Amino acid sequence: MKTRREFLKISGSAGLLLATVPWFSAFSDSKNTMGEKARIGVIGPGSRGQFLMSFLMKNPKVEIVAICDNYQPSINEALKMAPDAKVYQDYRKLLEDKDVDGVVIAVPLNIHHEIAIAAFEAGKHVFCEKAMAMTPADCLHMYDTHKRTGKVFFVGQQRLFCDRYIEAMQMVHSGTFGEIEGIRTYWFRNGDWRRPVPNPELERKINWRLYKEYSRGLMTELACHQLQIGTWALKTIPNKIMGHGAITYWKDGREVYDNVSAIYIFDNGVKMTFESIISNKFYGLEEQILGNKGTIELEKGKYFYETVPPAPGFLQLINDVEHKLFDAIPFAGTSWAPETANENTGDYITGKRPKTDGTSVLLEAYAEAVITGKQPEQIAEEGYYASVLCLLGHQAIEEGVIPDFPDEYKLDYLNHKRATQTVSI
Amino acid sequence: MKDTIITVKRKKIEVITLVACFIIACIVNIYAIAKFNTSWSEIFTSLGYVLIFSVALYIAWSIIRLAYYLIKNTFTKKKR
Repeated sequence: MKTRREFLKISGSAGLLLATVPWFSAFSDSKNTMGEKARIGVIGPGSRGQFLMSFLMKNPKVEIVAICDNYQPSINEALKMAPDAKVYQDYRKLLEDKDVDGVVIAVPLNIHHEIAIAAFEAGKHVFCEKAMAMTPADCLHMYDTHKRTGKVFFVGQQRLFCDRYIEAMQMVHSGTFGEIEGIRTYWFRNGDWRRPVPNPELERKINWRLYKEYSRGLMTELACHQLQIGTWALKTIPNKIMGHGAITYWKDGREVYDNVSAIYIFDNGVKMTFESIISNKFYGLEEQILGNKGTIELEKGKYFYETVPPAPGFLQLINDVEHKLFDAIPFAGTSWAPETANENTGDYITGKRPKTDGTSVLLEAYAEAVITGKQPEQIAEEGYYASVLCLLGHQAIEEGVIPDFPDEYKLDYLNHKRATQTVSI
Repeated sequence: MKDTIITVKRKKIEVITLVACFIIACIVNIYAIAKFNTSWSEIFTSLGYVLIFSVALYIAWSIIRLAYYLIKNTFTKKKR
């Protein structure tokens, strides 16, 4: 687990760190909150919820005081982690619990909006798993309710708190890689994305990601993480979206696409692409930032400059002599001179192979914010735009249209200005 | 098996030969730096390659000398 102190070592100063990650202001009072606890209720302690709980349990500033689920196996597993937590079947009852300061919402996408709004109205701070909601209108409603109630609002965009992403963005923003000309993201898997179902009646409850009633499929479950990288790197929001999706392989009754592509176009013509196929995993997942002076591959945690220092003159001379001697000989085998010495192998952003994805720091930040009651800068906006962008990508795919970013969903953020202040609260 | 004696003269010749090989390798390195327009710091940073090349030169030169002495010895015996 990387602490804020370690982040400061990387960045050199708090000012420099906050310029790239303003949401780290969550830690500004961390010394004063020693000994205090954020009392958290987890709504939806299924597999993702338990994953989040595993980090929360390690944090001495967190106490999981309640859990809520209507699926008993999930409750049983969650109670193994937090045996003292109160158990609720109905989230409304949990929200009435005065011992709960903030909630972690890790339920299917279609009920994020309903629960988050109820939580804000009940005076609870909210951590909501990504994506925020099923529609941009619901996302905006959640954002506006957060602003109106003044309660802390986090969306589960853990890359915003990951050390290598932060260092990479500092390099991007300082011009290390020149002008950013393109962003490519992809997430390839080879699997049906299904979970075992003990009873056919539970199919939609457990495999909710596969059905349009509950999910927007690959766009909300995977693209949401990666699209946010582009806006972070370019400090601007793309305003035109196009895409296509289809079920090409897993024709097993699912309703969401297993093969999608989307293109997001920024005002200066730079494009960000997202592609996901879940019947081939060869390329895995990656976010690539392409500058005229270099490239970053964030998942691998590496960067590559366009110009590679040449091999030492001595080796070049040996190569030269070797080629003059042996190139004309048809049986010449593998080169004995180290020709690969100038291969572009890149360097690790943090100096070492990546290990974490930022989830632990994200949840530490949420706990700090719950204790202080202060909303960290820009974290809600980043979550909002990540969600709305993936939903607009879904709209482009679903309707076969090329939507511009609708004015009614713009916030006062980066290159966007909010059109009106009339909100549907 | 019998004891062999390496004379002082022989030791001097071998040391001088090795030093000569090292100097030649250094000159080759300087030539390569100039030819390929790389950094002059490679005079030092490429010392590893230079040392390996020196040893290779020394071994190659030793093989040539060995072959020369073997042939020379063969003819000398025949004449006797």
